[in-house]
Amino acid sequence: MFGIKKFLFGDGLNENLPPDVKSAVSAWLAQEATGLESSHFLTRYVVVDIASDGMNPDSDRLTGIAATVVHQGIVSPEQSIYVDLTTADETVQARQLAAFLNFIVKSPLVSYHVAFVSAFLENLLKKRLGISFSARWVDLAWLLPAMFGEKSHKPMPLDDWLVAFGLDVGEGRRSPSENNMILARLLQMLVVRAHAKGVDSVEALIEESKASSHLRRTR
Amino acid sequence: MDVGQVEAMLRQEGQRRAAGNTQAFLARHAPFNKMAPAALQLFAEKAHIAFYPAGSLIVGPDSGNVRFFYLIESGKVQARQAGEVTVTEYSILSLGAGESFPIGAVTAGRPSTNIYTAVEDTFCYHLPAEDYLTLMSTSPEFNLFCTQYIASLLDQSRRQLQAQFAQKASEQQTLNSPLSGIGARNPTSVLPETPLRAALESMSQLGIGSMVVADAEQKPVGIFTRSDLLDRVVLADLPLNSPISQAMSASPFTLNEHATAYDAMLAMATHGIRHVLVTDHAGRLSGVVSERDLFALQRVGLRQIRQAIESAPNVEALKASAADVRQLSFNMLAQGIGAEQLTQFISALNDALTRRVIQLNLENHDFSGIDWCWLAFGSEGRDEQTFSTDQDNGIVYTVPEGEDKEALKQRFLAFALDTNKDLDKVGFPLCKGNIMASNPQWCLTLDEWRAQFSKWIRTPEPVALLNATIFFDFRPLYGKSELSDSMRRHLLSQASATPIFLQAMARNALEVGPPLGKIRDFATDLEPDHPGKIDLKKYGSRIFVDVARIYALAAGVHGTNTIQRLKLSAQKMNIKGEEINAVLDGLNFIQLLRLQHQYLEGEPGRQGDNLIDPEKLNELDRRILKESFRQARKIQSRLKLDYQVNH
Repeated sequence: MFGIKKFLFGDGLNENLPPDVKSAVSAWLAQEATGLESSHFLTRYVVVDIASDGMNPDSDRLTGIAATVVHQGIVSPEQSIYVDLTTADETVQARQLAAFLNFIVKSPLVSYHVAFVSAFLENLLKKRLGISFSARWVDLAWLLPAMFGEKSHKPMPLDDWLVAFGLDVGEGRRSPSENNMILARLLQMLVVRAHAKGVDSVEALIEESKASSHLRRTR
Repeated sequence: MDVGQVEAMLRQEGQRRAAGNTQAFLARHAPFNKMAPAALQLFAEKAHIAFYPAGSLIVGPDSGNVRFFYLIESGKVQARQAGEVTVTEYSILSLGAGESFPIGAVTAGRPSTNIYTAVEDTFCYHLPAEDYLTLMSTSPEFNLFCTQYIASLLDQSRRQLQAQFAQKASEQQTLNSPLSGIGARNPTSVLPETPLRAALESMSQLGIGSMVVADAEQKPVGIFTRSDLLDRVVLADLPLNSPISQAMSASPFTLNEHATAYDAMLAMATHGIRHVLVTDHAGRLSGVVSERDLFALQRVGLRQIRQAIESAPNVEALKASAADVRQLSFNMLAQGIGAEQLTQFISALNDALTRRVIQLNLENHDFSGIDWCWLAFGSEGRDEQTFSTDQDNGIVYTVPEGEDKEALKQRFLAFALDTNKDLDKVGFPLCKGNIMASNPQWCLTLDEWRAQFSKWIRTPEPVALLNATIFFDFRPLYGKSELSDSMRRHLLSQASATPIFLQAMARNALEVGPPLGKIRDFATDLEPDHPGKIDLKKYGSRIFVDVARIYALAAGVHGTNTIQRLKLSAQKMNIKGEEINAVLDGLNFIQLLRLQHQYLEGEPGRQGDNLIDPEKLNELDRRILKESFRQARKIQSRLKLDYQVNH
């Protein structure tokens, strides 16, 4: 019922969508962030990375979305999804995006340079589904310098962090899925450090992420 | 397809892609790098990744039945044995990237007996127990790895070792070698018109049995041999001023220098000839291969060596045989013969050499009518000789009635001195500690030996304990072995009845432990003169040897060989078969590394050492070596418990 109400009173859900997509998206929109989030351990984090054919969210195309769950301290390939947007037509894409929403639920999302990733996602979700996508984002790019100041107190390229942590991730360009597995490892380390610093819930982490971004941007 | 079905598909794709990193990791580590792609895919898709900050517990006895197979991706994990306070000191080990645990517990679905703790920030793969079992039943490589943890590693390593040796062996001459490397190079030749007398004179001067006849362009046109001299010169009344072309065998058999020794052998057999002339690309004479040259290629064989040793007319001939023993042992090592068989084999041939040296010397020293026996001590006494072993020997004898003991002893000492010197010439260096039959201390009557043994056992002071580790490993080599048997019975009855002696031996044996680091893999700073190196004898094989000796003495085992001792005393003392086999595998691996080191790195003529640099081993060997040292530690902690040794 609640979903239909949202639909009727305007989140601008595309009217041409097939019924199964409509109902899935409405259900997602209606969802509250449920689940236990009283600690990092209990929080279901979803790490997200994208592939695109350019760097500008307004003019370039999103070609793939990868997501992996980090829950109860564990990263598991089984809890992953990959949306290939290179070939599919608009209806297929819409259904795939609905499936993506189904997968992430309302879990907090984790990425590296959230502004970039979220802009691409928001644009496409608006275009295909008609919704204004918003999520609770945790930005590792800003959190890492806040939590691991002894390694670097400023944001650095991801690969520099990997070197700083001594993580061996092989050579060459990584696919979004592979990159997620690495971001997931960084998150695993990060929440342990955050907990030790008293930053022990997802809200606190997001606050910290925002504060860090503000502090380090304005200085 | 509705949204739900699409999601299931996208998840499958996500899982496949996310597994990529894990597969790349697995491809770099044994045994995974040997496993089929499907098995790796299963592992990579099912395994979770967990992070353990330094200091955190990973799994322990209190964690309940083990639910995962843990594989370390990065970082360091320490394993400590839980409970049994007395042995904890001996049971700390550290694991690094690519190592997995607790294989026994996850297979059996029981709690781990060890406490595993991250000592550095560590990432671990968790393969759920059910997927682990699936993998065990579908991947033969993984199954082998888990069920025969050490054994399979040993096997892989041996194969690697073999490849290394095969390469070296192939550089040596075989029947596949080209003729350009065999026989005489650039042989002397004469022109066809050379008078017979001149040709015969140069044959005589050069001490050769045949002469090649070649034209002005060095192309062979004939060969003249000693048998031709009889048939075609002497019996045919050919004047010595005739040209050699009248007496030679024309159009001799030639082969290009790229042909193999095998081709030459075939030609000799087919044409009934004894020489094959070797020519270069232009058909010019470049060498001669004789039947004897080919025979030399095959000379190194067990039977031939034995025969050569047993019929050797003098020490010089034995010297050549000793070199052959070394060559043959090397070939056997290349063929993948294990350390146990190999050391016993070397010992057997060394025994034959020693016996022949004794026999040759007995031609100058007559002991008829006297009961005596030549004894081998130390590694020779244990049948565990490696390529470089110095002499450890003695004599036991009885004084016949009416014979003067002192005079008899002097005769034995004189004989022993000659024998010791000859053994040195043959390649068994004189013992630096003078543990040799020519030393009056170790040339004793049966009663004197018995008294000596009793004294060491009753008063186990440091020197006595040191002597016990050498002299209690005795074995009869030549002469009346009943004397040696009598010594053994005396020793065993005395030792097993004197627990205080065995306890002192145990304390001594525990003074040196295996060089396992608490954080790093190996402790390489134990020998100040050789930083970065590990003495594989002192900190490796000797540990096993010492423990085996004590158990053998306690259990009344007559054998002196360490493997025999451990097997037999384990039976008597109810140690489980698989437990003792793991220990023996450990010992065998260390011995194999010693042999490898002595042969591959030893310079000819220099006594090989036992110092290896663990950093220079490949990853697999390093891991097995670590595992072998753990086995050493395991038997040490058992000894410690059994003899209540508290340092």
